[in-house]
Amino acid sequence: IGLSDTAVMDMMISNLQQQRQVTEQLRREAAIKRISVSQAVLDIMKYITEHEQEDCLLVGFSSQKANPFREKSSCTLL
Amino acid sequence: MASDGEFKAHSPGETIEALTKEAEALKAKLEEERQKLNDVALSTVAERLEVINYLNIKPRRVLKGHQAKVLCSDWSPDKRHIVSSSQDGKMIIWDAFTTNKEHAVTMPTTWVMACAYAPSGNLVACGGLDNKVTVYPLSLEEDVSTKKKTVGTHTSYMSCCTFPNSDQQILTGSGDSTCALWDVESGQLLQNFHGHAGDVMALDLAPSETGNTFVSGSCDRMVLIWDMRTGQCVQSFEGHQSDINSVKFHPSGDAVATGSDDSTCRLFDLRADKEVAIYSKESIIFGVNSVDFSVSGRLLFAGYNDYTVNVWDSLKCIRVTLLYGHENRVSCLQVSPDGTALSTGSWDYTLRVIYLMNSLVFCFVIF
Repeated sequence: IGLSDTAVMDMMISNLQQQRQVTEQLRREAAIKRISVSQAVLDIMKYITEHEQEDCLLVGFSSQKANPFREKSSCTLL
Repeated sequence: MASDGEFKAHSPGETIEALTKEAEALKAKLEEERQKLNDVALSTVAERLEVINYLNIKPRRVLKGHQAKVLCSDWSPDKRHIVSSSQDGKMIIWDAFTTNKEHAVTMPTTWVMACAYAPSGNLVACGGLDNKVTVYPLSLEEDVSTKKKTVGTHTSYMSCCTFPNSDQQILTGSGDSTCALWDVESGQLLQNFHGHAGDVMALDLAPSETGNTFVSGSCDRMVLIWDMRTGQCVQSFEGHQSDINSVKFHPSGDAVATGSDDSTCRLFDLRADKEVAIYSKESIIFGVNSVDFSVSGRLLFAGYNDYTVNVWDSLKCIRVTLLYGHENRVSCLQVSPDGTALSTGSWDYTLRVIYLMNSLVFCFVIF
């Protein structure tokens, strides 16, 4: 086999490997179990509702005491 | 030997032609399957929710000290300190309550594009144009630079980094289009993540309940979900029309939000395996650099090149409010670990910390 033949073969092997990787990746993705958007969305909404009251950037602080950034008048024991 | 451009591999029929054909068929099948389950729009389901009435939010702290663009920031797990990195090559550790600078470290490189706190709060990592990720143990006794340690090196700039579970491992994303998982102590490369066709710009870890996965966003416009242990890409999403600059998991772990140069943010649901929401307005034409969710996931904060932060109702897909104040691009933003505050960093050299005093917010979900 001449040098050019091995070089060509190397390239074909790598192209084949690449294509195999791409196709195998697609096979994996196609095999994923999917749920409907309506179900997925309901689950996200459920999570949000369950955590909304602890979301300070959404509902704010119930009182100044709850605000860690408040100006403290005295030293706090850490 | 080889003939006619056909190379017989492991099994007969596994030629490039056959594989390519199968790939095309699989792509078409994927699209079909996703569409079949696309039975409703998120905003339609969220119609029953009350509109959020957002009042009384303004910058409460301004952190001044950087002498050039702020590129990245990260809250400490102690919910009080912030590390920030800048184009000027400096990394600063701030007390966000008092605005005091506790450490200032000069890096041997400019454009420190990424910085992150380790879970213990005792270590920070950063890097950028030097292609490296370097960790700095934080000490009040001596100059933080003395004990620094270079952990890993990419073949292009490092754009993002994070500590997955402990101080012992660090995950990086790079302009070389790969992500990498490193052992901090030995500097050993533990896992490599190949799949993107362009610079990796952002990554985020799945909330711990959902296991060892992370998401990456890239200039190739793809969002990829990875298994940290195997190095395999387990899911991919497309949709953005330009570079993706930021990716964040929804706190539920079931979806990821993205921000892109195409001026939109999007929500991709992992179990429906598709894009389920797009956050955009005709009036918004500038790219998004950074996104983050509030603790419940109801609010999506996004920092833009037009110097503003848009606050989106992630369910109703409408904008709740606009935050002004920065005098240049918002390059990074992050909700604090306990969700009490939002920090934003900008090319105007400053960082700002915002919290909400009180608001009239009622969110009823009526089924």
